[in-house]
Order: sequence, then structure tokens, then C-alpha cells
Amino acid sequence: MRIYEELFIIKPDTPEEEADQFVEQVQTQLTTAGATIDKVEKWGKRRLAYRIDKYREGSYVLLQFTGDANLVKELERRLRVADMVLKFITVRIDETLKRLEKRKKVRDKRAAKRATTAPPASAPAQPSLEKQMTETPAMPGLPKEA
Amino acid sequence: MAESKGRPGSAGQRPTGGDKAVIGGRKQYFRRKKVCRFCVEKIDDINYKDIKLLHGFVAERGKIVPRRISGVCAPHQRRLTDAIKKARNIALLPFASSF
Repeated sequence: MRIYEELFIIKPDTPEEEADQFVEQVQTQLTTAGATIDKVEKWGKRRLAYRIDKYREGSYVLLQFTGDANLVKELERRLRVADMVLKFITVRIDETLKRLEKRKKVRDKRAAKRATTAPPASAPAQPSLEKQMTETPAMPGLPKEA
Repeated sequence: MAESKGRPGSAGQRPTGGDKAVIGGRKQYFRRKKVCRFCVEKIDDINYKDIKLLHGFVAERGKIVPRRISGVCAPHQRRLTDAIKKARNIALLPFASSF
């Protein structure tokens, strides 16, 4: 099971209820195929950064769901066929989410450590050294040896 | 040593890209050291939907600002370009603006 995010643009001149119906339809189809919908977000009408099929704006819909890879294929086929969809993008986000969580955990841990080691006088030196050791490749200033 | 302006291709000479204060040569100008915004503000998530953030790293014409100018560190610049390219794909950011 993977987590995906589908962002697609609906033509601005489609009636609201029709668009809603379409989104609903897509959702039911996904759930029947074994996915769970995590999030549905309608951003409303936005200006497009460039013209697509002579449209300068479109309404964005964001759909987040958990499911298998073959679901995406079907969903993309469906979006491609649908007349009202201008463009879509599918992004797999479970790995990024995992990475972010990890980062956050490390950050929290470090913050907690800093909070506990703060009272002693030698506190400022120790955490910074530790930070340097863990973050060496990320810091652009370090590699320069005078 | 003094040919700091000469070749942009020799990447080994300027790993940091930003902080250049030429001391040996005649021209002695000082530039403030650039820091990576994502490192400083601790922004972990560079998301393609966050257009407000991405807009700051896109030039007027829609080009991605090189990190020698913006000062973003390499790992973050990689993420950033990914995000910008995704955003372009879904018309959140322009490929080339103002025609």
C-alpha cells in the first residue's frame, strides 16, 4: 500500500455540480477498487501559470489516497479520458512523509537534549559540535579549510 | 589565486559558491556570506504545492535561481528544483512567463 496524491485541474466553465459529481465518482471508484481516501481538497478557481487549451484559469482538486500501484493507472486513464480535466499530476508521497517524520523526530530529540543540557555552563559548545557532526554535508560553510 | 572571476566551470575552487572576499588580489570587496534559507528556518518540507515559498526561488522569467545566487545548500536545492518542476507541470508556476 502506498500513499498517493493526485492534483488535477478542472475546466473553469464546467458547472459546479457536474465537477462535484465527477470528483465524487472518482472517489467511489477508488474506494471500490480497494483504496482509502485520506483527504479531498478543493482549492477553487485559480489562475493558471500558463495557458492550457486556451484556458487561463481552472479549479484545482487535490485527492490523497492510500492504495496499490495499479489503482493509479486506472485513475490516470480515467482522468485522461474525462473531458473536463485539463491536467493532472500524481505524486507518491509515502516516502517523503516518512522522511519528514524522521527529520521531525531527530529535531525533537535534539531539542529535548538541548533543553536538558542547557543549565550547565558547557552547554553551548556541546550541542553545536554534535550538530556539526550530524549535518556536515548539509552545511555549505564548513568544507572550506583556511 | 587571483583569477576568482575567471572560470565558473572549475567547481572545485568554490565549493561554497557564496562567500567571496578576495583578499590576495587588488580588488578587495566584501560580500555577506549567504546562508541556506531552508537550513536556517528549518524548513523540512519543500512541497510543490507551496507556491508562496517556491516563488522566492524563481526568477522573473520563471527560471530557477541558481544556488550561487540564492545561497541554498546543495541538498535543499535538489529538493527545490524537484518541487519547482512539479509545480510547473501542474501550472502552478510558469515554464516561462511574460511573453
